[in-house]
Amino acid sequence: MTAPAPTPTGPGTPTATPSPTPSGTGQVPALQAGLAAEHAVIWGYGVVGAHAGDALLPQVRDADDAHRTLRDDTVALVARYGGTPVATEPEYALPFPVTDRGSALRLAVHLEEGAAAAWRYAVAATDDVAVRRAALVALSDAAVRATRWRLALHTSPATVPFPGD
Amino acid sequence: MVAVARRSVLIGGAVGAGLLAAGCTAGGPSSPAPTTPARPDPLLAELADERRLVAGYDATIARHPALRARLTAVRDDHAAHAAALVTALGPAAPPSPTTPAATDSPGVSPTGSPTGSPTGSLTASPSTGIESSGGGTRVPVTPAAAVAALRAAERAAASARGTAALTATPDRARLLAGISASEASHVAVLA
Repeated sequence: MTAPAPTPTGPGTPTATPSPTPSGTGQVPALQAGLAAEHAVIWGYGVVGAHAGDALLPQVRDADDAHRTLRDDTVALVARYGGTPVATEPEYALPFPVTDRGSALRLAVHLEEGAAAAWRYAVAATDDVAVRRAALVALSDAAVRATRWRLALHTSPATVPFPGD
Repeated sequence: MVAVARRSVLIGGAVGAGLLAAGCTAGGPSSPAPTTPARPDPLLAELADERRLVAGYDATIARHPALRARLTAVRDDHAAHAAALVTALGPAAPPSPTTPAATDSPGVSPTGSPTGSPTGSLTASPSTGIESSGGGTRVPVTPAAAVAALRAAERAAASARGTAALTATPDRARLLAGISASEASHVAVLA
């Protein structure tokens, strides 16, 4: 089922049904890795929103909306490549207690770093240019959001050389 | 309160995958050549671009010392990018023209003149937008314009690395994608 590790152990589905690009391999496992991460991130932003405070709520909503859109797009892509989209887990573990604005922001950074890791994995897990491009955009967006949350936290440095490492 | 759960939020698997792929990348020399031997390795252009970016930041910091605090970490990211590209290139990598981590010494820049006199004929780099001539880099006169130039260079760099990632071998795609994403995030701190 939904394996937390984005290792391409997925259902395999070697059935060649790709509509956008007739050539390429590894599309479904790559996308599933990203999708599993998006499920977790969306769950996590619920916790972030509960503790971030009113001033940050618009930013939290924007991030949450972006991830929901990405999740929906990824679900559609997985199906298009002949896979069965992984479902969200009923529950996830928090990496640390989230009790206030600071810990909520740290969780937001953590979530985006996790998304970046999954999508960076996805880039290398397929040679399909269209899927790679989608994964690359998702990776970059996650890296940018992580940086914005670090700026809100006054974390220095606010950037990392290899997001998703 | 911590939600008791069956799986952690992303950490284990995602980071594990990262470590795996990083291990693969480290084996640069043994990885198969992605192009015909007659052509130069495409990573060479990416490396040259990263080195131009480092030089651009060094020159900007030398010309506008007040920007040092804001720019040093970003400059160091590019030095890390260049180092990783050297590793990926293996024996094909050209020697480094500058010292990779020279930002701790104020006022000393391997490429920029502290008084910032832009001289010589300038050649615009098509991919970074940073203009350079010989070893020097031309820095805009005002700090705001200098930051804007760097921002444009970051956008171009993120796009170039991203494009290169689309058709590269998996190890290199992972590396280039990470660099591209880092550069996209640089735009956010330069905003």
